[in-house]
Amino acid sequence: MNCEVCQLKELEVEHFEIREVLRCILHTIVFHRALGLVRPKDVDLELFDVTYVQCGDVELEKKIDEKIEHFISWVEKHPNKKSQICLSFYEVKNKQPYWFTNKIERLYWEQWYINLNVAQHLKAHSSKSHNSKVVVDPGEEERIARRAAVEASLREVLFQIIKFVNEKKDHVPPIPNGDGVVYFPHEITIPRKFLSSS
Amino acid sequence: MAPSHNHSHSDAAKMEQIITEFYTKSLHIILESRTPYVSSRNFSGEQIMSMSMSMSSPSSSSSSASASASASASAASSVRPRPRDKWFNLALRGYPGAMENLDLWHHSNPEPMVVDVVLVQRPLDWDPTPNFSPTREEIVIERWVLQYDHTRKVKDNHSSGSSRRSSNTTLHTLYKKSMLLLRSLYLTVRLLPAYKVFRDLNSSAQLRTFSLAYHVSSVIEPFPRSAEAEMQRFGFTPVETSVGRLCLSVLYRSSVLDLSSDPTPLTPQVIPDYVGSPLAEPLKRFPSLPVAGLGNHGSPSSLPFSRRHSWSFDLYRASSPSVSFSPSPTHSESNASISNPASRRFPPTSLPPHPPGTSIAHKNTTSFDEYCPSPTFSPSPSPSPPIYIPGTHLSKDLLRSESAPVNIPTTRLSNLPALSNKQYLPPSPPIKSTSSGTLRTDKFAGPIQTGAAVEQLFSLGKDDNRKYFGTKISSNDSPRISFSRSSSRSLQDDFDDPEFDCPFDVDDDDMTDPGSRPGSFDQKGHISQDAAVGDLVRMLKKAPPLCPEFSSSVNVPQASGSEIWSSSIQEPRPAAQDAVSASVTSSGLVRLKTTADALEELQGYREMKKLLLKQGSKSYT
Repeated sequence: MNCEVCQLKELEVEHFEIREVLRCILHTIVFHRALGLVRPKDVDLELFDVTYVQCGDVELEKKIDEKIEHFISWVEKHPNKKSQICLSFYEVKNKQPYWFTNKIERLYWEQWYINLNVAQHLKAHSSKSHNSKVVVDPGEEERIARRAAVEASLREVLFQIIKFVNEKKDHVPPIPNGDGVVYFPHEITIPRKFLSSS
Repeated sequence: MAPSHNHSHSDAAKMEQIITEFYTKSLHIILESRTPYVSSRNFSGEQIMSMSMSMSSPSSSSSSASASASASASAASSVRPRPRDKWFNLALRGYPGAMENLDLWHHSNPEPMVVDVVLVQRPLDWDPTPNFSPTREEIVIERWVLQYDHTRKVKDNHSSGSSRRSSNTTLHTLYKKSMLLLRSLYLTVRLLPAYKVFRDLNSSAQLRTFSLAYHVSSVIEPFPRSAEAEMQRFGFTPVETSVGRLCLSVLYRSSVLDLSSDPTPLTPQVIPDYVGSPLAEPLKRFPSLPVAGLGNHGSPSSLPFSRRHSWSFDLYRASSPSVSFSPSPTHSESNASISNPASRRFPPTSLPPHPPGTSIAHKNTTSFDEYCPSPTFSPSPSPSPPIYIPGTHLSKDLLRSESAPVNIPTTRLSNLPALSNKQYLPPSPPIKSTSSGTLRTDKFAGPIQTGAAVEQLFSLGKDDNRKYFGTKISSNDSPRISFSRSSSRSLQDDFDDPEFDCPFDVDDDDMTDPGSRPGSFDQKGHISQDAAVGDLVRMLKKAPPLCPEFSSSVNVPQASGSEIWSSSIQEPRPAAQDAVSASVTSSGLVRLKTTADALEELQGYREMKKLLLKQGSKSYT
């Protein structure tokens, strides 16, 4: 099987937005790949006016959150860089255990690269006055515009995922049997080339 | 094993079933996120759901099974997933109503399933009947088209045993691809603009002038060119099967939010200049009573309807116009007349069952007490109901009326006790001051019946709180209830949030019409008690000092009740004042938190009232 690779459009996000954005994207992808019985759960993002869907699997949610935390800590060490997080789906092929190894081979059939450009903007003097509802200072306007742009980009990425999933269906392996939310084995990694860069 | 062709038949049947289920499922997904829950909105549910479908050939048995479930439109979202819902491994909540009578599209049905999501703009004066009203404007904001194209005649069926495997694979693949498509559909419906409208309708408790509806048909009605120009298309990759292709696409309007943006709720009205708001003139605390004597240009009608209730309170405070019970504003008469009704009206008790936060209510009570006596005392320097409006007879009347049943001082004193329990008294500062002696109980309790009296009442001298005024305060029978509620509310409002959200506001309809006000204080037209209480509290809080010397502090609209109390109590009435202030301070800052607190305050006020009554009686005798 060929491995389909999807490079998602780069998103410029701020540090505090990473978590929500990644959660949204990762869950969206996984939702498409969790082909066991799912009870979808709608989740509204707080920072953006976007609703995404989770599989409803607690374990999966935890795992994704862990990876996101890992990614965030990595980003903190390497600020102001483009970063990537990779979600790969693989099939497990039990190769004949060699005498020196019984490695289980993973045959990746799909890889998603989520590209983020984490910007560390200087904390804008939040000139929040008491009647901030009434007065919007220029900094606030910029923030609003930026937020709207990120939201639009996020939607584009989500549509990109949907289109990709729709267009490329043939490479998806047969649904594994099992109970519960059976999703294909997958892993979330930070590509090495980024890890090594400093 | 059956011959291969049987397998292929069964495979074909299975394929047909898969495709049929696909139709059902996709419709379910679309409608689930486009039709507001029926239970939550009266108007959007049943009357909007309309399914115009042209049925095609009868669907297979499976479809009928699917239609069975859900039940009525009222099922909303709490239906357990039926077994069917697990098709395509997507367990959805049972969708009520819409799936009934759905003649499922048969896979061999060449007609498409067209689902139109319609934004219905209801006029403000919408008619709750489910019939189509010509004044409704319907705009199609989304059109989903699902079609099974029999594009290829595949060599299916016949073949060797391998075909069975391949058809299995085919079925498996078909199922898998359908699942993927449905997952995409599930996500896509949440990303399109119409979802925001749906979420908005579902989440907000406000009534809106728009709602969502849907039509399911098998005919694609072309859009007008102008509409089509505004729509964008998103097509899902078709799912190929051995006998055809399953195609799903959507035409959607990207600017749907513009059409539906109608944040103004239907029922509540925004009162930009509610009493105490920054927009209001700071000095205009009192409703501007149309009372001539008061000199306010109060135009009762100018007050927002929602505030009417509050006006009533103010009226009470202000004095007297024998609003409460007797139509005539003169306090002498009112005294007499008031007393009776008052007693009727105010059930001695205690705080209305309404919200606990009746600290204000307590205050109200007390203040009313103070008021009550005033009418009678008007001649006397001290008590003077004129607290409300210095020198205004109307105020006296108001006082009287407010105190209603018990007000009337002389006789009142006897009645006072009855009133004393009225919780209503809003914490009107001026009352307090005068109270020394005037406290005759009348807490004008509630039933200030509005109307004219109220209007007059209010002007309260200094301020033209027109705002206050508009309330048609209607007499309520259990004023206390309303009072307490509103009072607490109004205090809270002041404390917490400048926005007016007095619970009493709503009863616009309860208010007597202005016509009934002037002079006719009968019990018709009856503001809700809550409204009355709220009004009263507000009024009291904002009322300017009744006497010139009071001027300063009375107008502390946003101050806590206790502050008001203390400020109002500046006036000298030494004994009364002490008592009042003592009780005020003892009651502490308005806490408006618990019924217990409110009750304590009430007790305090009662004591105060008694004290004042005693003083009043002394002054009389």
